[in-house]
Amino acid sequence: MAEVATPVPQVPVVEEAVSEVGQISQWSLMRLRFQRNKLAMTGLIGLIIMYFLCFFGPFVSPNEYTLQNTNYIFGSPTQFTFIGPDGHFSLRPYVYSTTTVLDQSTFNFVVKVDKTKKLPVQFFVKGDPYTMLGFIHSDIHLFGVALPQRIYMAGADAIGRDMFARTLVGGQISMTVGLVGVIMSIVFGSILGTISGYYMGLADDVIQRIIEVIMSFPTIPLWAALAAALPPVSESFTALDRYFLITVVLSFVGWTGLARQLRAKVMAYRSADFCQAAIAAGATDSRIIFVHMLPNAASHIIVTGALAVPGMILGETALSFLGLGILPPMVSWGALLKDAQQVSVILQHPWIMLPGVAVVITVLLFCFLGDGVRDAMDPYSI
Amino acid sequence: MSELTGSKTIADVDTILRINNLYTYFYTDIGVSKALNGVSFDVPARKVMGVVGESGCGKSVTALSCMRLLPKNAKIIKGDITLFRHIQKGNDNSAIVDAVTITNLNPMSQEIRNIRGAELAMIFQEPMTSLNPSYTVGDQIAEAIILHQEVNNAEAEKRTIQILDQVGMANAKGIFHRFPHELSGGMRQRAMIAMGLSCNPKVLFADEPTTALDVTTEAQILDLMRDLQAQLGMTIVFITHNLGVVAQMCDYVAVMYLGRIVEQAPIEPIFYNPKHPYTKALLNSIPHAGSREHARLQPIRGVVPDPFSSIKGCAFHPRCNSFMPGKCDQAVPATINVGEGHTVRCFLYSDEVEK
Amino acid sequence: MLNYIIRRLGYMFITLIIVAVLGYVIIELPPGSYVQSEVDRLRQMGGNLTQGQIDSLYRRYGLDKPEYVRFWLWISHFVVGDFGEAFAYNMPVSTLIWSRLGLTLVFSLLSLVFSWVAAIAMGVYSATHRYTIPDYIITVLQFIGLAVPNFLLALVLMVFAQNVFHMQVGGLQSSQFQNAPFSLPKFLDLLNHMWIPIIVIGASGTAWLSRVMRANLLDVLNMQYVQTARAKGLNENVVVWKHAFRNAIHPLIMVLGSSLPGIISGETIVALVLSLPTTGPLYFNALISKDMYLAGAFLVFLAIALLIGNLGADILLAWVDPRIRYE
Repeated sequence: MAEVATPVPQVPVVEEAVSEVGQISQWSLMRLRFQRNKLAMTGLIGLIIMYFLCFFGPFVSPNEYTLQNTNYIFGSPTQFTFIGPDGHFSLRPYVYSTTTVLDQSTFNFVVKVDKTKKLPVQFFVKGDPYTMLGFIHSDIHLFGVALPQRIYMAGADAIGRDMFARTLVGGQISMTVGLVGVIMSIVFGSILGTISGYYMGLADDVIQRIIEVIMSFPTIPLWAALAAALPPVSESFTALDRYFLITVVLSFVGWTGLARQLRAKVMAYRSADFCQAAIAAGATDSRIIFVHMLPNAASHIIVTGALAVPGMILGETALSFLGLGILPPMVSWGALLKDAQQVSVILQHPWIMLPGVAVVITVLLFCFLGDGVRDAMDPYSI
Repeated sequence: MSELTGSKTIADVDTILRINNLYTYFYTDIGVSKALNGVSFDVPARKVMGVVGESGCGKSVTALSCMRLLPKNAKIIKGDITLFRHIQKGNDNSAIVDAVTITNLNPMSQEIRNIRGAELAMIFQEPMTSLNPSYTVGDQIAEAIILHQEVNNAEAEKRTIQILDQVGMANAKGIFHRFPHELSGGMRQRAMIAMGLSCNPKVLFADEPTTALDVTTEAQILDLMRDLQAQLGMTIVFITHNLGVVAQMCDYVAVMYLGRIVEQAPIEPIFYNPKHPYTKALLNSIPHAGSREHARLQPIRGVVPDPFSSIKGCAFHPRCNSFMPGKCDQAVPATINVGEGHTVRCFLYSDEVEK
Repeated sequence: MLNYIIRRLGYMFITLIIVAVLGYVIIELPPGSYVQSEVDRLRQMGGNLTQGQIDSLYRRYGLDKPEYVRFWLWISHFVVGDFGEAFAYNMPVSTLIWSRLGLTLVFSLLSLVFSWVAAIAMGVYSATHRYTIPDYIITVLQFIGLAVPNFLLALVLMVFAQNVFHMQVGGLQSSQFQNAPFSLPKFLDLLNHMWIPIIVIGASGTAWLSRVMRANLLDVLNMQYVQTARAKGLNENVVVWKHAFRNAIHPLIMVLGSSLPGIISGETIVALVLSLPTTGPLYFNALISKDMYLAGAFLVFLAIALLIGNLGADILLAWVDPRIRYE
């Protein structure tokens, strides 16, 4: 048979690939994987910047967002230059002075740019007073120019309001509606999905039928019908109440998807060994659900939530665009786009579409973020 | 694309597949994996050749290289594979062979596709995932027949049922119309074998065909393969890591380690007179009946190295009990002859270095 | 198979009843009613209605009866085709909705077909030709389809078409063909007006579907049976389309049903922007003016269309995947 060779001294050892053995928690592992994903980090950082800009919008933008300026109706974006009045490059940007004159042939006010007069852009200037975040009252703006000139980063709308300022403030609504709506969907969907999957039987049948019925309606028409049912804004029903109810309407459809998925998961867990063991050990239902099942489903819930935000934002935008969502004087991106419904208007004043660009960017960033979260939480991906 | 090579001796002529100095590399994001590092062996016609080794040593890659079924990120860097088709003995003891160099063919070409299935066939390890769940078993087997033998559907169905019968399926006619998920593991593997045999290939590569089966079914499948091989005079290249199966099935054995053949011999010398330290260690690590009570198992020291690393000299030296410093870690030993059909790659037996 | 269809029809019927109830609830949801707003409007204009006049108005529109009676009245009329009156237009709802519903279905169906063909083509191509330039272009298109709201896309395309191609893009026909008899130029003009809606409605669905197709095909291409098919000597095209694609398409057919609501709802809003004579514009205007019978009828019909669509999708899935039939 085989012989055993005599051991020889000086036997080299194969180098182990792992030199240290350490431990890292599951959440840290996910966080590290997320951070490695460049697209996901772009999404995260981009969104943080956008939220910051929107909530500090009144400070960041040179004009107050409700200020009407009849001198600048549909005015085009202000032109900047980095060449000072002395003709040399200057670090401080300058803007050209503008005057509004009456065009005597068309009977329209036209904004004329005077390229000879340059005004220096100043930082931390005193400008229109505003209220930010509900409690900060100030009139300092990040940058601006001496009155009566104004800087319009993205032009003005039909009554001379600053599109840039309006887009930033509108973002406060649009970007939070998605989050609030998703949180409501998650809570509602998790509860119903878990009940449906855990107790099965009659509760399951009823809940499943309800879900089917809701899913049988086309989404936007259903939202529209529900939103149309909301009372008009009055003293007893403020714009804020309306905002809240709109998010409820949006999550009315959103919870169904999560509920179905969670039901499937809970049903699978139920027959898994770890739950059987808990049941055999005499654990109460709530303990099994909250201690055993939901932590396992947590990653799925988070991923579904992250990926659902874009849908909510698009839904609010569509509803407000139709005039059924956020109503004036509250601004959201959809409400702003309502003014941009005609091709002729868009052709002549394309900056009206700035809120649309904001929507696209935000949705893309959330998509990157959501994909990154999903990849980071997937135990089988590299 | 065949070439008529000149006269060969009879000893050569008994080879049906020749793999010569094959280097296959995989290019990945994390590095280059040198899966095959100079693999050479001859597969004798009408015999069962076993290829043994641990996971990751390159056994499957060798078979896939022969079939040109490598993934897009793999490339045959060097070497050639020749299939000897037609062997006709001349009157002066010479023979005229019709051979095709597989490595010269474009992997997407019609020529290689004509060879696949018809001359070289392959069956895989997992019978459940090896069959398409959306088509019936019969359809999948008949597909190969229609492709290579240019017969109509009715004739293909007839032949399929014949083959299913041959592989021992109880109700061949009924099985024809079944879907894979309706069959048991053993039946699926029989169906796979039927698919492999359907066009009477010259060489059948069997990549761990019984590893996923339970022992009883395994025994049945091995018996079946043995019988069919004898009946049809087919050559089988049997890839496995299980030495017990090798002992049952094979006429010749090639032992692979990390992309090289370290020892090659007929079945008896491998088991009773192993030369290479790796072969010896493999045989030693099997627990055997009759050993002393409480005898310790003797696993091979160390671990299989990372495929992306490069080891200087003989790849086995870090785990070898006969390691000779200054020699084994400096150069790769050449393959030398140590007996009748017995070759080995080890500095214990020769100082020849591989070029 | 027949059993399966009958079972699904049974479920559908139950769901249909609940849909009708929900539809009615939605109709009745807005506070007040059209009658109320008309009364208010009249009051505002100065005329004052006596209580008796108001009462008779209420009686005429059945608003004085209890809820369940009104529901029964509504549904019994609904199933025979009497959907109530459209107040703002002063004609029965049925005359208004049929042609528009039909056109909605036409656009939805065409968008669905376009969306699927495009998604399959893009998905299969980008799965089999990874990391090539067309693959990157496809990825960019997918992101555009996903992130841009459909009404915005419609607006942008309209601006584009008008500015660059000088085409008149609103509505279903250009003005010169509006009342002209049927002819080839008229037909071509019709097609010219149809491509923007079809692409826009299908855009986000296409983007998402093609990503799913790509992911599924990549998964399937890694499966052992694809390798088996190649080992038999089959042509790569046959391997991809006959063996891989056939299995990769299952999850897509499973989500076919759930992609339908998106298409129909997308159709409504795009039609509004592009002024197409379909459900959308009429429906949304009805909601704003609280013309609830009109809105409600539309909503219920759209839901019915979806239910039928889902049934069709389930049957298709059972036909394609033999394993589902035995559930």
